[in-house]
Amino acid sequence: MPEIEIGRLLRSNTSACVVGCRVAQAGLPAFGSLVRIPLGNNYQIFGLIYDIHIEDDGLVRQLVTSERVDEEVLADNRMNRNVPVEFSVLHAGYEQDGRIWHLLPPRPPLSLDAIYACEPGEVARFTGEGRFGYFRHVLRAADVPVGELLAAHIRQTQAAQATHGREDWGQAAVQELITLLRDDYPQLMSVLGALADIV
Amino acid sequence: MEPEQIGYIVGGSLKENLRVRLTVPANSVQEGAFVVVESGDWLFYGLVTDLQLGATDPRFADEQSEQRLPAGLAALLHGQTLFTNLEVMPALMAERPPDPGDPRYETYWAAHKDEKPHPLPVKTIPAHHAPVRMASKGDIAEIFGDPAEKGRFIIGYTREQGHPVCLDLEKLVQRSSGVFGATGTGKSFLTRLLLAGLIQSNVAGALIFDMHNEYGPDDTSSDTNQRVPGLKGKFPGKVRLVGLGRGATVRNTPCDFQLEIAQKDIEPADIEMLTRELNLKETTPTTLAALDREFGVNWFHHFKEMKYGAKVENDEGKQVDAPDSVAFWAGGAGVNVAAAEGLHSKLGRVFNKPYIVEHPAADTIGEIVKALEAGQHVVLSFGDFETDLDYLLVANILTRRIRAAWEKKTNDFRSGKASEPKKLVIVVEEAHKLLNREMAAQTAFSTIAREMRKYYVTLLIIDQRPSQIYDEVLSQLGTRICGWLGDDLDIQAVLSGLASKDSLRGMLARLQPKEEVLLLGWGVPMPLPVRSRRYDDKFWEELLGKKLGKQDESTLLKELGF
Repeated sequence: MPEIEIGRLLRSNTSACVVGCRVAQAGLPAFGSLVRIPLGNNYQIFGLIYDIHIEDDGLVRQLVTSERVDEEVLADNRMNRNVPVEFSVLHAGYEQDGRIWHLLPPRPPLSLDAIYACEPGEVARFTGEGRFGYFRHVLRAADVPVGELLAAHIRQTQAAQATHGREDWGQAAVQELITLLRDDYPQLMSVLGALADIV
Repeated sequence: MEPEQIGYIVGGSLKENLRVRLTVPANSVQEGAFVVVESGDWLFYGLVTDLQLGATDPRFADEQSEQRLPAGLAALLHGQTLFTNLEVMPALMAERPPDPGDPRYETYWAAHKDEKPHPLPVKTIPAHHAPVRMASKGDIAEIFGDPAEKGRFIIGYTREQGHPVCLDLEKLVQRSSGVFGATGTGKSFLTRLLLAGLIQSNVAGALIFDMHNEYGPDDTSSDTNQRVPGLKGKFPGKVRLVGLGRGATVRNTPCDFQLEIAQKDIEPADIEMLTRELNLKETTPTTLAALDREFGVNWFHHFKEMKYGAKVENDEGKQVDAPDSVAFWAGGAGVNVAAAEGLHSKLGRVFNKPYIVEHPAADTIGEIVKALEAGQHVVLSFGDFETDLDYLLVANILTRRIRAAWEKKTNDFRSGKASEPKKLVIVVEEAHKLLNREMAAQTAFSTIAREMRKYYVTLLIIDQRPSQIYDEVLSQLGTRICGWLGDDLDIQAVLSGLASKDSLRGMLARLQPKEEVLLLGWGVPMPLPVRSRRYDDKFWEELLGKKLGKQDESTLLKELGF
């Protein structure tokens, strides 16, 4: 299966990064998907897409006010736009020398590093490692719709895990979330409210 | 195989019991369950005294989240946030020897010289998260003894798993003990069980004051109307049935002999003990002292023969007190005439008792003592004499004689003149009548309860109102076997002198009548509620041994490989 490049890095810090890409590429990854940023030397960073941001530009503003937008113009605007679609990615862990860690990456990625969508096998491998350590980063993140992000992530990952023989992964993940959040009633109920839609 | 884990330690202290987080459904554990905590090299044995529902946050308990969330999610949430905690009262601890595969095995047994570790009173607590499990049959045998051992008597079974729980009969008879429970909670059946065990094991002789003719002859249950075998029928060679009064029969069962009390056996103190029953005045002791002084041991006979209000005419033609009148004697003895006449009149109820005679046909009290000394057991049935007066008077006189006999035997034994006396248990029903606060000081029973264990005599008290029994006596009771009690004062009385009474209080009030009893006190290693053994044919078969039929024999031989 060919590697699917989503885009390239715009900016980053230790806990998150923002990736820019064209609209055609943006059709591939979804909110809650796991992505990876290979950095060479057997080192790659994994992250979860928690925000997809589409900025306007001058042309879009003009087109929005016009009475009718031709299909050609629409396609041109999407294919050749000046401002990229931005994906915000929360760092969930990294892989070094074949070992997966659910810790923040020691070095953030650099500008224009390429970002790839994870294949089901990679998703199953990263999320099946250890005991859901990367949930810490999600629960700690500010300005992240935690419940929605986790629901989307668990729904997608459950399918990947099921194809790799771990039917009970979803239940274990929910159990771990309840354990982590049981002292924070409002947050837990908000997360469970979102999870209720995917169960 | 050891029972599965039911939870783990989450906190607690020696003073306030241990808290155990339950990992199995709450309804699989009951109050009073015997549990074992495994912590390192030690096993802790304890009793569940409370079950509490808890939540990591009260809002999880308040919200009915199962209505908002899908069932699976709600179940996961409840599994993590709602829980049941057990409160476990630790009672005993025992060192756990290493398994044969353990490298410390050899060193351990070399140091302990093949001596099995004994359970000790609990002095420390298990570690956090130490696993907790229900006690197995082996654990119960470790603490309460193996039913196959001599002198062990199965009194009941654990409530959840039905493992047999034994009483150490030797220990039971070392100190006085009590069987308590509100009316209709199965005291009589329990007492029959105990007595059958005592008689069969022969650890002590028993003198049973059978006020309601329940224990000696066969009886009919007041609840089920079924035939209940008596001790005489089951142990014809070991039990002597004694009836009160000449010609006595008990429920149409002929007695082995009849008890008659000689008038000279009655002491002034026996009458003083009846103060409340006969409504005697405070002048009574003075009058009795004067009678005793003047007539000695025959005071009762002489007083009975005196005539109340008899007058004769003197030489001057005046009506004066006849020489055989009470007033005449009182005048001569310097006793208040009205007091003497009043006492004489009130003693009329005692004078008229047909079993009190001047010259008994035989020394039946002596016979009873002899039978007991010979290792037999005596059931004294009161027959038609079922009043409190009969019971108090006869029980007291007989017990006083026996007490004196055993004191002498013990003193002879200690000075090397005689062999060791046989242990004797005196079984007293309606004990509060003899051992209440007013009477306790006057009867022989309180002395027996307090001191006579040194003289090989103890009491087995059966009562439904333990709160009426003098607390000094109650606190001396070694083993207490208690059925359901409702009254707070009674519960308090049964638990007097015991540690952890607060934990046990609720347990007593929640026992199932006729089915369950709580074992308490010095005579049992730790308190434990048990489902009491049934007094039925199976019991007798187990106790007396079942004769092997032809088929049983062939099965046995096959099992043995022949």
